[in-house]
Amino acid sequence: MKSAWSGFKAIVVKDLVIELRARQVLPTMIVLGMLIVFILRLVSEPSSGRVEMPMMAAAALWIAFLFSGLLAQERSFGVEQQNGCIDGLWSAPLDAGTVYLAKLLANVVILSIFEMVIVPAVLLSFSLRVTARWLDLVIVLALGNLGISSVGTLFSAVVQLTRTRGALLSIVVLVVLMPMLIPASFALLVLFGAMPEEVAGSGAMAFVGSFRVAQGYLLAFDAVFVVACWLLFGVVVEE
Amino acid sequence: MITEAARSTDMALTVRSVSKAFTARPVLRDVSVALRRGQAACLYGINGAGKSTLLRIAAGLLRPDAGSVWIEGNDVREHPDTAKRCLGVISHASMVYSELTVLENLRFAGELYRVSDRAARIEQLLTETGLGPFRYDRAGILSRGLLQRLAIARALLHEPTVLLADEPFTGLDVQASEHLIGIFDTFARRGGTILMTTHDTRLGLRCCERVVVLDQGAALLDKTKDEIDPERFAEDYLSYARSQN
Amino acid sequence: MRRWFMALSIVMLILSTWLGLTKGQIVPIQRNILYVHVPNSIGALLGFAALLLASVGYLVTERQIYDWIAAASAEVGTVLASILNATGMIFSRAEWNVWWTPSPRLISSALLWFLYVVYLILRTSLPGSRRRRARICAVFGIIAFLDVPMVYISARFIPDIHRPDFSFESSWQTLALVLGIAGTIALAGVLIWLRADLLRRRFELENQLHN
Repeated sequence: MKSAWSGFKAIVVKDLVIELRARQVLPTMIVLGMLIVFILRLVSEPSSGRVEMPMMAAAALWIAFLFSGLLAQERSFGVEQQNGCIDGLWSAPLDAGTVYLAKLLANVVILSIFEMVIVPAVLLSFSLRVTARWLDLVIVLALGNLGISSVGTLFSAVVQLTRTRGALLSIVVLVVLMPMLIPASFALLVLFGAMPEEVAGSGAMAFVGSFRVAQGYLLAFDAVFVVACWLLFGVVVEE
Repeated sequence: MITEAARSTDMALTVRSVSKAFTARPVLRDVSVALRRGQAACLYGINGAGKSTLLRIAAGLLRPDAGSVWIEGNDVREHPDTAKRCLGVISHASMVYSELTVLENLRFAGELYRVSDRAARIEQLLTETGLGPFRYDRAGILSRGLLQRLAIARALLHEPTVLLADEPFTGLDVQASEHLIGIFDTFARRGGTILMTTHDTRLGLRCCERVVVLDQGAALLDKTKDEIDPERFAEDYLSYARSQN
Repeated sequence: MRRWFMALSIVMLILSTWLGLTKGQIVPIQRNILYVHVPNSIGALLGFAALLLASVGYLVTERQIYDWIAAASAEVGTVLASILNATGMIFSRAEWNVWWTPSPRLISSALLWFLYVVYLILRTSLPGSRRRRARICAVFGIIAFLDVPMVYISARFIPDIHRPDFSFESSWQTLALVLGIAGTIALAGVLIWLRADLLRRRFELENQLHN
C-alpha cells in the first residue's frame, strides 16, 4: 500500500507539473469552454427572453465540461506517447490500478481548474445567482467532474495506446456519460432556481425528481464507474 | 534486489518457449533464450523477425500468448514487481518527458522504482553519464546523444541486474555510440546481464559474447562468440539479410 | 438443431402476429404494435446480459469463442434496439401525434441503441492485436452493461407522459404477447449462434491463409 503511494504521487505531480509548465491543454480547454458558453448564449438571444436562461446555462455548463473534459483526457495518455514514455511507465514496478487512479486525479484537478474559470463565466453571462447555495453547486460540479473523468481516463488510455483517432474517445465517453447528464442538469436547474427542490410525478415510471436524489444518483454513478474503471484498467492497457 | 529463488539458479534471464501473434500471422514461434548472469547477448534479424517483440515480452510490456519469462528467478507475470525491479529498459525512444528537466526525470523514475537514498544515487549517475552540467535543462532541448545518456541514467537508476536494450544505437554518432558501449562494458563488468537488439552487426559483436539470429519469429542461430568467426559472421549475416528482401 | 430453433421461433412470431391481429386484437388498432414493441424491448435488454456474460467469459477464460458471442450479441442487440425505437416512434406518432418525445421509456430505448452502436463502432475501429481488441471490447461491454441501470434510473428524472393503460381483456392477448416474447428471444438466440459461428469460421479461414 505504502509502495503504491510513492508511484501514485509521482505520476500526479509529474502530470500537473507538465501541464502547468507546458500549458498543453488548459488554455485550449478554457477557450473551447468559453466559446461553447458564448455560442449558447448567442443562440438563445433571438428568442428575446422566451428561452429560459437557467436551462441554457445548465446546458452550456455540461456541454462545456464534457467537451473540454475530453481534451484533458486525450492529453492524459497523449503525454505518455511522446518519446515512448508509456513503456517507461509500464516497465516500472507499478500496478495498473495505481496508474489509473493517479491519471484520474490529475484529470480531475485539471478539470477543476477549468471549472473555476468557466462556472463564473456561465453565471455572469446568463445573469444567474447561486450565492446562497454555492456549497451545493460545488458538490454537484465536483461529482460531475469525477464522473466525466472516470470514464474518460479509462478510454483515453484505450484510444492513445492503440493509436486510434480521438473521435472514438468522444463517442465512447459521451455515450457512457449520457445518463448522468439528466440528474446533473436537474440538480443545476434546482440551484439556478428554475425548478422546485422536489417535483412529484405521476405515471407508471413515477417521477422521482428531487435535489437530494439527483445528488445521490451522481454519487452512485461516480462510485460505480470509478471502481469499475479502476478494476478494468489493467485489462485495457495490457497488450 | 535478488530473491532466494534467483540464487538457486545462475540464469539471470530465461525466455521459455514464448509465442506471440498479433494477427493470424505469428510474430514469435516457440522462442527460448536463457542468459547466464553476466552474459551479454545480441539479437539480430531483419525488420519483422520479432526482435522487438521478444524484448518487449521480456520487459513485461507485452504478454506472450504462450510461454514464460523469468528474470532473476521471478516469473514476470506472477511476480511482476520483483521482476521489473531487476530490469532496466533502454530503447531508441528515450522514455523521458521533454517538459521535465534532467533532474526531474530522474527523480520521477526514482519514485516509480522507490529507489532508496535517491538524491545520492541520482548524483552518482549524473557524474557517471556526464549529465551533471545539464541537470536543470529540460529534456526536450537536449541533443540526441545527451538524451540517450539520460535514458540510460533513467534505466540504471534503480541498479537493475538485467538490461534490455532495443536498438540503443539508433541515431547516435560515433562518439555517443562509444560512450554507450563503455556503459554497457561497465555494466557487464559489474556482473550485469544484457540482452540487446541492433542492426549494426559489428557494434553488436563488440558489446556481446553471444549472438542470436531470429528468422520469422524463430531462433535460426544461437552461438557464443568463441564458436563463430566474428568477421565471417558479420559478412554472412549481411548477405543473409540482403537475401531476405 | 439450429434450423429447428429458427423454424420454431419464426412459427411463434407468425402465430403471435396472427393472434394479435385476430382474436387478441387491442383497440384502437395502432396499439397492436405492442406485440412487436414489448418483445423487442425485452430482447434488447437481454442482449446486454448476453454481452456482459460473453465479455466476462472472455476476460476470465481468454477463449475467443466468447469474443465472437459478444460481437454477435451486440449485432443482434442493435437490430432489436433499432426495431424497439422504430416501433416506439410509430406508436408515439399514432398515439400522441409526435414522432419522438422525451419520456423515460423513449429516452431509455434511445440510449440503449446508442450503447450498442458505439460498441460496434469500437469493435471496427481498434487496430492492433486481436486479443487486445477483444479485451478492450469486453471492457466496454461490461461498462455498457453497468450503464443500463444508470440509464433506467436517470430517465426517471423526466416526467412520464400520460401512458395508455394496457389491461389485457382476454387470455388470447396474453398468449399473443408471450408467443411474441418467446419467439423474439429464440430468434435472437439463433441469430447470435449463427453469427458467432460465422465469425469462428472466418477466423479459421484467416488462420489457414497464413499457415
